[in-house]
Amino acid sequence: MVANTNVDFKVKSGLAQMLKGGVIMDVVTPEQARIAEKAGACAVMALESIPADMRKSGKVCRMSDPKMIREIMAAVSIPVMAKVRIGHFVEAQVLEALEVDYIDESEVLTPADWSNHIKKNDFKVPFVCGAKDLGEALRRINEGAAMIRTKGEAGTGDVSEAVKHIRKIRAQIQEFGSLLNSPDELRTKAEELRVPTDLLKSTLEQGKLPVVNFAAGGVATPSDAALLMQLGCEGIFVGSGIFKSSDPENLAQAIVQATTYYNDPLKLLQVSSDLGDLMAGVSIESINADKKGTRLSEIGW
Amino acid sequence: MTRKKCVGVLALQGAFQEHIDFLERAALENCYNVTVIPVRTKKELHLCDSLVIPGGESTTMSLIAQRTNFFDDLYTFVHSSQKSVWGTCAGLIFISDELENQNELIKTLHLLHARVKRNAFGRQAQSFTKVCDFSEFIPECTDFPATFIRAPVIDKILDSETVKPLYTIPNNDEEDVIVAAQQGSNVLVTSFHPELADDDIRFHEWFLKKFVVDF
Repeated sequence: MVANTNVDFKVKSGLAQMLKGGVIMDVVTPEQARIAEKAGACAVMALESIPADMRKSGKVCRMSDPKMIREIMAAVSIPVMAKVRIGHFVEAQVLEALEVDYIDESEVLTPADWSNHIKKNDFKVPFVCGAKDLGEALRRINEGAAMIRTKGEAGTGDVSEAVKHIRKIRAQIQEFGSLLNSPDELRTKAEELRVPTDLLKSTLEQGKLPVVNFAAGGVATPSDAALLMQLGCEGIFVGSGIFKSSDPENLAQAIVQATTYYNDPLKLLQVSSDLGDLMAGVSIESINADKKGTRLSEIGW
Repeated sequence: MTRKKCVGVLALQGAFQEHIDFLERAALENCYNVTVIPVRTKKELHLCDSLVIPGGESTTMSLIAQRTNFFDDLYTFVHSSQKSVWGTCAGLIFISDELENQNELIKTLHLLHARVKRNAFGRQAQSFTKVCDFSEFIPECTDFPATFIRAPVIDKILDSETVKPLYTIPNNDEEDVIVAAQQGSNVLVTSFHPELADDDIRFHEWFLKKFVVDF
């Protein structure tokens, strides 16, 4: 069993590698899943309601009905992901039994355990987890996450938190790089981040996270996607942005094209034009101003 | 001195960087006069002697190529007998003549005279790594770790004159399925991912030698 851990992890992280350069779209119905697939999504995230609506509801948000996820799995040929609550390892067991292709242990849902994340190494199904800084990313990887998404702020259409989180992770990898010359300081930093020294060391040596790193949370336009790609993300999750816009098919296609041609301003110009009404969204500042508002990126640790 | 050859890796979506890294290392370690570039445009494609189509989502790659009018350039390139082509996983799907399932979703490049079955082993839950003996076509390569991720297989060869199976494995205890094949002297396909084999560049070394340097 133990001898196979590396091989199993290769299969888990390998799927994330195949998703790179692609767009993973939140969908709530088989019909939306088919629209996403036809637009060129490399995977879909099956959900009962999209983050923008979850935010407004104020209700407990749980794993989606497996029947609905199963219908989406039957509707498309691309990988299907689904979300479980942070720490809810039984929801994860259920989705593993359903054979979804990836599980997102997500702060967008209401956490089930405020102290422990799921021990993801215990599962054969791969997990993606959110992170807003290097320590959080490495803690999730140490628990077995085979893919990281920077958290951003889901359901807002405001890309600024997503930008902040990828910049933070990259800046920390740069900044801590100098610790490689000092084993003591490296160990102290690893303790501070609550991660194994070896994991921190190998990450700093490679100059990047050891698993694929997508961006998420607040992407609403082709330029948003290209911005995050230029900042070093390896692919994009789009949630509410697409199906909260007036012309989802067109916008979905445009975000797919922008993610491939993120370094080509002429192509970005082409795909940015005439997209109809984009998601109105809610700015991060307005959530901060409203004392009742909780930022999702503050959930998870 | 031989002319410098250029290998392109199609970079529309998927694990193209892994192929680039492996090919660059294989070229360096063998002192091959080869450059490796990512290919997203017609201009980049025209620099290439050979094209690797990586793993990823075949629907995504095909749709992006069609929308940017790049599809026709790719079609012309891969059908030239002067060029060599290697498709891995999604790349195998993208160049096949016919798909056994989900045909309506993907416009293919109709290069490989074979019928391909997508997700032939099942979903991610059925993905696996298998140590394979490739020594019949790669000298001394008896223990290559081949990773299959939601992998396709060649379901049927449509022209046995030109398409030769290189390797088969049993699928769910049923009959053997083809997971590597060659068409003529210039087309290679694998349903698995040699670019995920950690530090093991033997497969890429063999490809460079046979399909690029000696081609």
